[in-house]
Amino acid sequence: MMTYIDYKTLLPRTVIGVLIGLFVIIPVFTTSVITLSILISSGIWAIAVMGFVLILRTGQFSMGQAAFMALGGYASAILTVNLRMPFWPSFLLAGVISGIIALIIGLVVLRVGGIYFSIITLAFGEIVRILAQYMEGITRGVRGIIPPPPPTISLAGLEINFAAGNPVPYYYFMVLLVAIASLVFWQIGRSRLGGTFASLALNQVLAEHQGIHLMKYRVIAFTVAGVFTGFAGAYYTNFLSIITPLMFGLWQSIQIMMMSIVGGVSSIVGGALIGATVLYTLGRYLSLLPIYNIQYLLFGAIVVLVLLFLPKGTGLVDLWGKFWRKVFREPEEYEMPEETEMAVE
Amino acid sequence: MSLLELNGITKFFGKLAALEEIDLKVDEGEVLGIVGPNGSGKTTLINIISGYYRPTRGTIFFNGKKISGLRPDQIADRGIVRTFQSNVLFEGATVLESMLVGSFLQYKTKDWQSFFETKAYKDDHERVVGRVIELLKTFDIFNDIFLPATGLSHGYQRMLGITMALIANPKVLLLDEPTTGMNHEEAMFVVENIKKISEQGITVLVIEHNMKVILNIATRVVVLNFANKIADGKPEEVMNKQEVIEAYLGTETI
Repeated sequence: MMTYIDYKTLLPRTVIGVLIGLFVIIPVFTTSVITLSILISSGIWAIAVMGFVLILRTGQFSMGQAAFMALGGYASAILTVNLRMPFWPSFLLAGVISGIIALIIGLVVLRVGGIYFSIITLAFGEIVRILAQYMEGITRGVRGIIPPPPPTISLAGLEINFAAGNPVPYYYFMVLLVAIASLVFWQIGRSRLGGTFASLALNQVLAEHQGIHLMKYRVIAFTVAGVFTGFAGAYYTNFLSIITPLMFGLWQSIQIMMMSIVGGVSSIVGGALIGATVLYTLGRYLSLLPIYNIQYLLFGAIVVLVLLFLPKGTGLVDLWGKFWRKVFREPEEYEMPEETEMAVE
Repeated sequence: MSLLELNGITKFFGKLAALEEIDLKVDEGEVLGIVGPNGSGKTTLINIISGYYRPTRGTIFFNGKKISGLRPDQIADRGIVRTFQSNVLFEGATVLESMLVGSFLQYKTKDWQSFFETKAYKDDHERVVGRVIELLKTFDIFNDIFLPATGLSHGYQRMLGITMALIANPKVLLLDEPTTGMNHEEAMFVVENIKKISEQGITVLVIEHNMKVILNIATRVVVLNFANKIADGKPEEVMNKQEVIEAYLGTETI
């Protein structure tokens, strides 16, 4: 009997597998703090971008996503420092707390969609930042909280030491976190939920009349995004060993949007990973230039270029898709004939 | 007891009455035509039954249960599904995608089952795809399932809208001017399909301007004029009523 190998699906899977493998073994080649910390930060921002794009899928534009990173970060820092909880439970709780706050905010704010939702989330982001700044008794204000490093784990004779200055364990945990987030977001996009979300963005009135409860699905997307963005914030806080009110402000929310634009929103996971890595890495190196804060100006230019050459939400991830089809000679997307006429005479 | 019962439905937009004290009973299996000059409140009536607007006064009962005040998705879930006057479709989705997204109420499995791709979900999905294809074949849109829905011609977009309403398992189908902007052949194509739908035991409420269409399909006709119901009865009787003729042609002054 002949075994049939489907190269069309085998090849992309192999390449994705090899890429994941490469990311896993990077620390074998380099333990450079700069390289690894850029990759760790990119991964963390990518999770926040996935959350933003998921909300965007339901047709809503959240302008305060960084606030959920702040919530996760502060929750984890306050639980470990002020309440002396162990690291891992407090890390898990951080995501849950951020998710619950997203749920409550969502239930109130998502009644109004569109531009009102955007403005309220923008205000919410600022409220979180201001509260963090002025509730000095809990958050230590602008001085910030310095959480202790996570405890050393002994796993089957292997010592995983999260001591400061050693980014390798942080790197592997980031890979795990990004893998879980990617899996969840990818599966949501693929499942019926993805279609339901998309229908809300495509035509809200029609979706509602087909039996879809608008509020319910908007809130689900917002809450899932809140949980993962909270985890991202908590992990970032522990990786940098500090959280201050300025770390997750309006600029960071805007940066999340920019990353989604550059990466592209046609794929939740791919676009987020590419966009976050490209923009974060660029930002890190551009900030070395002798002009103060030049990276903000250049980010703007990059976003404009992407919008000019890759419009309608097709970011770099679609460019990759085009390259892929060219290399492996897959047919281009189906082109629509000019008009299909009904037999009328 | 009637399937659908409207008691004293009144709708004001500001001080303008769009509907005044409308009482209407719809029995199971009927094809009820709703006619009336422009601005007489026909579409408002459908918007109120489907939950898009809330009535200012009055109640609606469906199967003996009150449905006025519910959201559109709840009303669709109870079995009253509507189509729209203009071509309202999922922008950018193909015909098949539109149908699958529109199949929300056709699925029996929950969202979490779809997320984890359980066996039950896969079977359910297969059944839904089968049902979608069956419906598309019935209404002659099957050849174009991979075309963007907005690339279909006007008549087929209309039929797709009706097919999407049908996949939501309606007991009552509300059609808002299904033949606007069509020539005679296209309109007759839709008429044949509405007859097929009615034969499946689905109650149909249809708003229509085209009298040929109404006389062809309706088992009963209701005439609205200036927010009021002025006639209700068999198509031929209603069309010969003095008030109806006046509503359409104006009063005779000699």
